[in-house]
Amino acid sequence: MTGAGKSSGTGMVSILDGNTFMVSDARGDVDPSPDFPAGLFAWDTRFLSKWVLTVDGERLNALSVDDLQYFESRFFLVPGEPTHYVDAKTSVIRHRSLGGRFEERLTVLNHRDEPTSLTLRMEIGCDFADLFDAREARPRPGQTVRMVEDGRLRFCHQRNRHVAETIVTSTEPVDIDESGLTFRIELGAHGTWTTTLYAVGIIRGAGGRDVRESVRGYTEVRPEKRQELAEWLARAPQLVCDSEALQRTYRRSMIDLAALQYTGLTSQVRLTAAGLPWYMTLFGRHSMLTGFQTLPFVPEIARQTLWTMALLQGGRVDDFRDEEPGKILHEIRYGEPGGFEEQPRTTYYGAADSTPLFVILLDEYEQWTGDADTVRQFEFEARAALTWLDTYADLMGDGYVWYECRAPGGLENQGWKDSWDAISYRDGRLPGHPRATCELQGYAYDAKVRAARLARTFWNDPAFADQLLREAEVLKDRFNRDFWIEDGEYYALALDGEGGQVDAVASNMGHLLWSGIVPEHRAPLVAARLLGDELFSGWGVRTLARGQQRYNPVGYHSGAVWPSDNSLITMGLRRYGFEEEAARISLTMIEASRYFDGRLPEAFAGYDRSLTRYPVQYPGACSPFATSAGTPLALLRTLLGLLPHEGHLTIVPAVPEELGRIELIGIPGRWGRIDAFGHGRLRMGRR
Amino acid sequence: MADPTSDFFAWIEDHGPEVLPDKARGTIRFDLDAGEGRVNHWFVAINRGNVLVSHENREADCVVSTEQRLFDHFALGESHVVTAYNRNDVTVQGNLPLLLMFRRAFPSPPGTRDPRERVRERFVGRRARR
Repeated sequence: MTGAGKSSGTGMVSILDGNTFMVSDARGDVDPSPDFPAGLFAWDTRFLSKWVLTVDGERLNALSVDDLQYFESRFFLVPGEPTHYVDAKTSVIRHRSLGGRFEERLTVLNHRDEPTSLTLRMEIGCDFADLFDAREARPRPGQTVRMVEDGRLRFCHQRNRHVAETIVTSTEPVDIDESGLTFRIELGAHGTWTTTLYAVGIIRGAGGRDVRESVRGYTEVRPEKRQELAEWLARAPQLVCDSEALQRTYRRSMIDLAALQYTGLTSQVRLTAAGLPWYMTLFGRHSMLTGFQTLPFVPEIARQTLWTMALLQGGRVDDFRDEEPGKILHEIRYGEPGGFEEQPRTTYYGAADSTPLFVILLDEYEQWTGDADTVRQFEFEARAALTWLDTYADLMGDGYVWYECRAPGGLENQGWKDSWDAISYRDGRLPGHPRATCELQGYAYDAKVRAARLARTFWNDPAFADQLLREAEVLKDRFNRDFWIEDGEYYALALDGEGGQVDAVASNMGHLLWSGIVPEHRAPLVAARLLGDELFSGWGVRTLARGQQRYNPVGYHSGAVWPSDNSLITMGLRRYGFEEEAARISLTMIEASRYFDGRLPEAFAGYDRSLTRYPVQYPGACSPFATSAGTPLALLRTLLGLLPHEGHLTIVPAVPEELGRIELIGIPGRWGRIDAFGHGRLRMGRR
Repeated sequence: MADPTSDFFAWIEDHGPEVLPDKARGTIRFDLDAGEGRVNHWFVAINRGNVLVSHENREADCVVSTEQRLFDHFALGESHVVTAYNRNDVTVQGNLPLLLMFRRAFPSPPGTRDPRERVRERFVGRRARR
């Protein structure tokens, strides 16, 4: 199975290709829905908002849906209500795919012993809504016209010079009116009739030319897509293992990572979209973490991410975008509202973690690939990022990384937990601004330590390297004084603007292990917290510990379990030698993946495992989601203990008994290709 | 008469390497429509961050077309070139990444203050000593 899949929470069926996706109900129909963005979307714009098929005026019912590939699916349908269909005289197959354009082949089968006449109708609408408006069916400013032209139905939306169009055509003769296509068909006894419908979404540039047309990949066709996917899978290391769940989630993740690649902005580079449906665009944090997670598997994701992040690095102070010189991007949106400055998301910089993550990824990338040219090429951007850490990030002048939103409609929290209520005191109060969350300080520390290596080895600047290491040590000392909560023996989630500790117990402290800012003597206390009942649900580490006032098992950043969060935590645990703890979380994550057909969602609920027995879906979670797809890969790295070290790959497996044998064949890197083997020897013991 | 576009290009000639990465290399031609059939050409040659500007109407790696009036807004920091590109008020042919690198040269919106000053003012005398 390589299909895009059914979202079991919503009953919706989606196919995707990079940042283009089509979401319909189980019949293949698109109706405006308040819960989920249904329709055909590309570049954050909805190009089809209605796509409803009827036969002789009757809606159809689904017998089954096949997910063929992530970019294609097939619906088997019969007219009428479910009770009728045992005796269906007609059936319809809708076979749709994405690859530059949307394509749907309609096949009608007559099961009668005699000829019949049918009227097939496709009702079509197009609102050109921005993704965020799609749920509310809010009309866009500007003008939309429908045109019946020779052999095609054209929808055209114009606002000043911005022109978006949807053009629908059919391969068979058709009656076209302004709201759809009608086929009057004659079928012989047991006869078959077929047509293919095409829908193309276009954003027009000067002289009516499609501005995206010059972008390579826009008109890719399916055979190439199949080929591309096969090559992608063949390039990645092959996994051979006893655990069926691990095997399945690995394959699923590799396919989803392929599905989320898109060509945007410029044809020179493939980007990774963050998640379906809300984040089908570039996010700095998610792209870079995905790049980090996937380095032992597909290092090109990291390389392309670094290239794009460098290109879009902040150049000026711009309050509307939370932009500052040297700051790395948070998000790109292609939709029309950004162009008209209704919101800042066209290029938005409201993230305090993306800048240190850029430096961290650059170093990690070189350690795996040995690609020194890239490190030299991005010296300017890396230095600008480091300067940002010491200047604009340090809002309070005390050496920490702080954030405070200035953009209208921007993000109140600018770490990875960026929802408005994600950062709270234990008693539920929300701290004042600015805020300095703990993991940001860890990232800054790690960035400095790593940059010191880069400065010494590649930038020919040992003095800068020494300075960075001194700064890192000072930061580590001060951090461990200011963030450590003595009476609770854990790290504060953040400092508030007054310098006080924000004392909620949260997963963020797991990232501190990943960054190496925790002194050895405190690491066991942190590990015990992470694996304790308050934070560990039995499936993974919750974002916020049970017992905190704002804890909610279905709280997005206040109780739910995020696979990506857990992937960083397991890497941190291994860094400090907690093999068993890392293996335990890796195991439970892999077990959880079984309940999602191998596809870990953005997040799932934080209920105790003993209470629900299975991981409960988080309502509205994105899936596929890039850093969740990257998670099983990072878990493999943790389980096999893969560590690039002075040009070699060290392999120190720590695999739980339950997973048995794990072989990862052909890990790419500066060493060429290397195989890693691990045997399940760790006894986990039941908790 | 104030000419923000000329001032901007004069400034970037002096400050290129400070704001542009070393790897910024190539040529950009800005075709600025001044109305009545008049187009002002600015030919920008970038080499390792160093910028040389002329009025030649020569072939370039990247050709950027927009209205003179709008470019004046970019030059003053009042408008954003990527945003304008998204709404199709700027068209780009050729090497878009080069323009995105050159984007770093545009100034902050008028009246922008250093965010650090604004924050620190609020906290004068209020910080807990740790």
